[in-house]
Amino acid sequence: MRLSSIFAIIAVVITGGILLYGVSDFPSFGDPKSPANAAVPGSESVSQYFITKSYKDTKVPNLVTSVLADYRGYDTMFETVVIFAAGMAIFAILGSVGGESQPRVQEEESSFVDGDHSRIIVGTTCRLLVPVIQVFALYVIGHGHYSPGGGFQGGVILAASFIIIALSSDLDAALRRLSEVNYLRLACVGILIYAGFGVLCQVLESNFLDYGVLQPILLTDGPEMARSHSMLGVEIGVAFTVTAIMFAIYANLSSRGTLRDGL
Amino acid sequence: MIITIISAILILLGVVFFFGAALGIVRFPDFYSRTHAAGKGDTLSSFLVILGFAVYQLKDFHSFSHDWPILLVILKLLAVSLFIFMTSPVSTHALMDAGWEDKVKPEIGEGKPNHLNDDSEKF
Repeated sequence: MRLSSIFAIIAVVITGGILLYGVSDFPSFGDPKSPANAAVPGSESVSQYFITKSYKDTKVPNLVTSVLADYRGYDTMFETVVIFAAGMAIFAILGSVGGESQPRVQEEESSFVDGDHSRIIVGTTCRLLVPVIQVFALYVIGHGHYSPGGGFQGGVILAASFIIIALSSDLDAALRRLSEVNYLRLACVGILIYAGFGVLCQVLESNFLDYGVLQPILLTDGPEMARSHSMLGVEIGVAFTVTAIMFAIYANLSSRGTLRDGL
Repeated sequence: MIITIISAILILLGVVFFFGAALGIVRFPDFYSRTHAAGKGDTLSSFLVILGFAVYQLKDFHSFSHDWPILLVILKLLAVSLFIFMTSPVSTHALMDAGWEDKVKPEIGEGKPNHLNDDSEKF
């Protein structure tokens, strides 16, 4: 066993031990005395507050979205950053960013029409389905307020549509639609949109990500609707980053970082 | 009442085909026939089950002006079955094609005609 793997095992054991030690401090599941469930003297508990007040505060029927994108918006912003960092780690390991950037050899789009029969079936089906999948992804992103969904889920579906293009023809066909430069831009723009909403609130002399003050900018009737619309904007930012990073991870892993040929 | 019976028959029929597909995956001898069982049985049975659900939705349908949201639910269910109809056979086809490209040999019984070498120089 090499020395480096011994150090790795020690690090893993220590981290795991700390995490397991932390678990023992958690309240047991459904404990009525836990901070999330128990009412603080003089006011109600956190979960009671969310259940009774979230619609009044934000005008968003989906409680999960309002907690995720508003009450705990700071947490969600860094969840998005974690996904971004995962993508950056993949690039760092496979080392493709800033590599050779000469234009790829353009093959004819119609190369699978004649000859290979199996690619006619798969290619045609994918061409029929990809637009439907993308519209559904946009629906999931935009409808996250009213039904299960939101930026993370919709972003993954949108990325899946690009991965289907890459699987059904080849990686170049997908990279022609969402190139390396563009997915990196998209990933950065997503986080900038999210953080931009926070900074905009600060500019208007409120707390970071306190969307209520955006009412004069978004021209809504009341701060509640401003919070609702800001959540939509934030979800779109999340969707941008998730789409870009998911597709980037696929493209880099399937071609060992060269972004050529693929699977 | 009659709608409930029709939908129950459709769902049960779907479950029978599901059982056939599962049995085929376990019992068939080689890769191609197993994939065949999964693809064929899965597509038809999920279509029948979803059709059963759609028929069951009609139970509360009395007037078009008042109960039109039920038609929306039926439309969504039919859309789901349409997508299964399009994707399931194609994915089975892609799987089999990948196996053929990878030179997975089908099992051919004693004395049965062998057409494998008719198609170019695959094996």
